Amino acid sequence: MKKTIAILLAVCCVGLMLASCGSTPASSPAPASAAGEAPTVPTEEVTLQFWHHYSAQSAENETLMNILIPKFEQENPGIKVNAVSHEWADLHDKLLISAQSNTLPDVARLDSAWIPEFQQMDILVALNQEMSDFDSVAGNLLESAMSTAKIGDDFFGLALNTNTKILYYNTKALADAGIAPPATMDDFVAAAKTLAGTNGDGQQVWGYNEPGLSGWNLCPFIWSCGGELTNPEQTIATGYINSEATVGAIQMLADLYQSDSITGWNSGDIPMTDGFGTGRYLMMLEGPWKTAELAGAYPDLEYGTAPMPAGAGGSHSVLGGEDISMFTSANKEAAWLFLQFMTGEFAQEEMAKCGQIPVNKATMETETVKNADFAPYIEALPNAKSRPTVAAWTEMDNDLMVSVTAVMNGEKSAQDAMDELALKWDALLAQ
Amino acid sequence: MKAKKVIALSVKYLLLLLGAIISTLPMLYMISTALKPNGALYVFPPRFFPSADEITLENFGYILNKGGFLINFWNSIIVSVITVAIAALVSSALAFVLARFRFVGKKLLFGFIILTMIIPGTTMIVPQYELAVGLGVVNKLMGLIPFYVAWVIPFSTFMIKGFIENIPKEFDEAVYIDGGSLYTVYFRVALPLASPAIASVTIFNFLTAWEEFPWANTVINDDAKRTLPIAISGFFGQHQFTQWGYVFALSALSLIPVLLIFVMFQKYFVSGIQAGGVKG
Amino acid sequence: MKIGTNANRLRVASLLLPGLLIFGAFTVYPILKLLVMSFFEWDFGSMFNQTFIGLANYQEVIQDEYFQIAFQNTIIYTLVTVPGQMVIGLLVAALINSIKRFRVGFRVIYYLPVITSWVIASLIFRYVFNTEGLLNYLLNNILSLTSSNVRWLDSRWGGMIVAMVLGIWKGIGWNMVVFLAALQSVPNELYESAEIDGANVLQRFFRITLPSIRGTILFALVMLTIGGFNVFTSIKMITGGAPAHQTETLLTWMYYKAFSTGKFGYSAALSFIMALTLGLLAVLQFRLMQSDKAGDAL
Repeated sequence: MKKTIAILLAVCCVGLMLASCGSTPASSPAPASAAGEAPTVPTEEVTLQFWHHYSAQSAENETLMNILIPKFEQENPGIKVNAVSHEWADLHDKLLISAQSNTLPDVARLDSAWIPEFQQMDILVALNQEMSDFDSVAGNLLESAMSTAKIGDDFFGLALNTNTKILYYNTKALADAGIAPPATMDDFVAAAKTLAGTNGDGQQVWGYNEPGLSGWNLCPFIWSCGGELTNPEQTIATGYINSEATVGAIQMLADLYQSDSITGWNSGDIPMTDGFGTGRYLMMLEGPWKTAELAGAYPDLEYGTAPMPAGAGGSHSVLGGEDISMFTSANKEAAWLFLQFMTGEFAQEEMAKCGQIPVNKATMETETVKNADFAPYIEALPNAKSRPTVAAWTEMDNDLMVSVTAVMNGEKSAQDAMDELALKWDALLAQ
Repeated sequence: MKAKKVIALSVKYLLLLLGAIISTLPMLYMISTALKPNGALYVFPPRFFPSADEITLENFGYILNKGGFLINFWNSIIVSVITVAIAALVSSALAFVLARFRFVGKKLLFGFIILTMIIPGTTMIVPQYELAVGLGVVNKLMGLIPFYVAWVIPFSTFMIKGFIENIPKEFDEAVYIDGGSLYTVYFRVALPLASPAIASVTIFNFLTAWEEFPWANTVINDDAKRTLPIAISGFFGQHQFTQWGYVFALSALSLIPVLLIFVMFQKYFVSGIQAGGVKG
Repeated sequence: MKIGTNANRLRVASLLLPGLLIFGAFTVYPILKLLVMSFFEWDFGSMFNQTFIGLANYQEVIQDEYFQIAFQNTIIYTLVTVPGQMVIGLLVAALINSIKRFRVGFRVIYYLPVITSWVIASLIFRYVFNTEGLLNYLLNNILSLTSSNVRWLDSRWGGMIVAMVLGIWKGIGWNMVVFLAALQSVPNELYESAEIDGANVLQRFFRITLPSIRGTILFALVMLTIGGFNVFTSIKMITGGAPAHQTETLLTWMYYKAFSTGKFGYSAALSFIMALTLGLLAVLQFRLMQSDKAGDAL
């Protein structure tokens, strides 16, 4: 028993010791966001809190920490930037919780799909109203990318980088089957069916992988088949999400799934990257990030890329990308300087070197960009479209996933499911 | 008769061995994956053990040398050790008073403490975060410790109280007769005699603090203050891409302290739970 | 013991205070705050000017079809995993208790799953039960027991079953330790006299062992039921609620509503509905165990 007390006491002592050395770095000064109301005095040091989702181990994060921020701090004496990396979904949740208690960072890199949601919460600064030189700054950036930050007549951020998805295919598999990369939707369907089957090991392979059934996954097919989600004003869904073309696109995917030609969204499916890397999925639609990931994990894989196959509606992929926004609690002058720096030529070109597609028009003309791996994406961008920019999109997206899942599993016909969905969406859009 | 006993015993050992294999397989699989190259999880045919030519220490090397995971490890140790130390002290004090003294509202108090166990901790994140902001402990390890202590108090108090109630009161009385105070009884009788119970709740509490994710993820921002579970989750990418080798290597390393604590305290485990659990 | 003198009162208070302060500030206060939230409209649009809406959140939760699915799933998960863990745990404890060598070794090995983190255990299970995973490879390619790969994870019940298997696998060790403690406190004389009376192993187990460890059974039952209702990480990692929210449990659904759709009032109400259910179940369990003989109750 005495020994136990000794152990416990030792544990306590160690604990207290750790506590004393653990608390030293923890007592850093409070963030500068409190000073947001007062005009900045140049002599006083400001620390900008910047949250982003460049993943912690990535080349982007290294560029940010080792090149961009030092350069910004050097150009803007008196302003420090504390950049924090969060996992993508975590960043969304953390911003939500921080908003509840007024502890938002000054600046954040936001998935453009989140902008409507945060705008509805009234926590984003309308840059065109607050910044007198907004027009000249925004004029340097691509209009299509800037549209992701626009709600009504106001802009709630600057476009930071853009992306879209193109078709990846397994070069060897297509050559073995004697088919060319599919250029049209009919070719695509035929290719998916031809490529599916069993491989030399007797393992099932699929012609195409789609890792989910939400808007990000389905929109390229719906749009390219000539369908729409809503009317252009984003007020009505009936007649668009349940139109013949949209239903046709969903039915096409369901038929491919029923014939075991495509898969990917089930919990028991091989994750997309691993499946493509090991030759189990032979085509996929993916963004510019995949190049580096495949090079790291599956360096021997031979693959090619092609534009989204064109259907009755043309070849339309889905527009992704990030915006950089400031929150209402921010130190606005310092934050505006940082926003301009991050969307400026220097930062955009540095980030382009790690595979981020720039939005700065001048950067688009540089040699770095012209020779970059992501050149095929730049060609696809002009035809890429963005998902509805309405606050209810998260909920609508979820309804879409639920409805299409039922179609895929044969529980509902595509027409019935989309008719029901249209009614739900009309109600959400009317709010 | 003797042969029958031998057979019965053999069957018992066989059954136990079978169960032991099922219990350890996933852990072995974790270690074997950590020893394979990063992209080898979904190769065909699947292999449980890495083949001789693909065994690599690259994953462990990366974890130990790059990426700054030692600081995460250190943070987790600090948080978990301080949590179990404080929890042991305050819960045993609560348990001692609740086991030994009568006062108005005692049953109500104990009942209330136990009752809070049925409210899931995950649901309290929003109000707790507001509290953490109010106390200025956001993005600090101090934003974790008191919350963890509060979470483990009900179960710890319950277990230790049950144990103290089984300690004969004569021990207390002997101290009082010698002129000792209530503190003397607490420190000289209750604490040492209840140490098996304290040791066993310490095992549970250490694990709770060590693998807690949602709250730590909410409160901590900076890389340098993150605990291990957040560091591990950093490997799960946004685009259907996970560096499995790193995930499993870091996870394997993160098991070591928990295992150490368990092996250190496990001999008190059975006797510690006995009184607490049995008495209810 | 009565507290007695004032000086003693102070000492008692000083022992109670630290624990109660921490507990009060970091657990009780957030719970009360949560209770308040559950009566307000508290979501994206109304985050900074919430309105009191009485029981409307509670009504919305109960009428929500996904809540009903999540509730069913949670109840079934609990009904399967709690007895599953207890029976196997008790069996293992009885086996370990009846052998002489390697006791400590087995105790540590059987406890390993308990200390493996939920995240890692779930990842491994997800891989093993993947349609192209280890288990199907074993069944299909090695043993030829199935003609094609079984899609374990792709349906509501498939996904739930895998989560339940994981829950049982991970919980056996805890039950083993708890029941081992209880078994060792059953007086040996009881067994000896029963053996003289000619009772066989099973009779001894049901007539002596079970009644003697009733307290422990109740304790485990209540603790494990709470644990069952709290199932979260495994579902989130293994199915993420797929397909179409069919495998959500109470906590994963609450988390989804709070953090993906910003409905904090809804999720606060859900928490209290869940706590209320658990409270009722605990009372029921106490009643059952106290009124009946242990043998009848099981």
